[in-house]
Amino acid sequence: MGPKKETKEASASAKKKDTPAATTTATASAKKTTKTAGNTTTATKVVTKERKEKVKSTALKAKQRVVRGNQLTRKRKIHTKPTFRRPFTLRLQRQPKYPRRSVPKRNRLDHFAIIKYPLTTESAMKKIEDNNTLVFIVNIRANKPLIKQAVKKMYDVDAEKVNTLIRPDGEKKAYVRLKADHDALDVANRIGII
Amino acid sequence: MTRVKCSKLRGKKPDELQKQLEELRQELNTLRVGKVTGSGGAQKLGKIRNVRKSIARVLIVTHQTTKENLRALYHGKKYKPKDLRKRKTRAIRRLMTPKEKSVQLKKAERRQWAFPQRTFAVKA
Repeated sequence: MGPKKETKEASASAKKKDTPAATTTATASAKKTTKTAGNTTTATKVVTKERKEKVKSTALKAKQRVVRGNQLTRKRKIHTKPTFRRPFTLRLQRQPKYPRRSVPKRNRLDHFAIIKYPLTTESAMKKIEDNNTLVFIVNIRANKPLIKQAVKKMYDVDAEKVNTLIRPDGEKKAYVRLKADHDALDVANRIGII
Repeated sequence: MTRVKCSKLRGKKPDELQKQLEELRQELNTLRVGKVTGSGGAQKLGKIRNVRKSIARVLIVTHQTTKENLRALYHGKKYKPKDLRKRKTRAIRRLMTPKEKSVQLKKAERRQWAFPQRTFAVKA
């Protein structure tokens, strides 16, 4: 739309300008170089200059619009609901300039800390022989999956299930039933509880 | 087992130290089992304390060397981890630095320079 307008104006100005030199002055280019014949007065000269600048500016604006896109008229969003919810905005991830702690905290509840020692009471012995389970005193902050992992790591055995209880003296007892392909008695011998 | 000495530990590499730590922990485990089963006797029971303290020593050495290396790494940098910065006290950390305190108006600076405190003395 822009360029067309400009050419229209150019032609219009050409027409305006005038008849004697009409054919030569009519151009489609943005910059009008008009030759005024010798017989023009100052008045006409001023007009042409103004005209020139206006044409130039409209042409430039048109070019800019084409390049940049029309930013002067904004699109209005259509809201079809009466509520306004906060739109999703950009949330950047943290890029800390320095770690807050120089050394990350070490895990205090590792396998050695989880399993304290196995129980060797009579009832524990019975469990080993009859139910294929080992009985351990365990860190009170350990949970069943952790106990399972720890037993696996320390003694190389797979646990079928773990049952826990907290003794009245504040210690946690874990009954670790071993999988059928392990023999609790062998494992107990290996550990040192007999 | 002989006493683990810190001076000997400092010469070791970190993986060696880790390995030693694991060994010590295993030993502690077996000792505790022994305590429960009633084997061993006084000697074994006394060993428990040694092993515990040796584990502590290994951990101390590992931690100290890591911290040292980190301090060297961050030396001269603008942003250090908070535990590598000076501790002092909370209030002192929030005070103005000497440079910040010495900042003056340009006017005051010029005045000081142009009209310093003169001292005169009477010739005897």
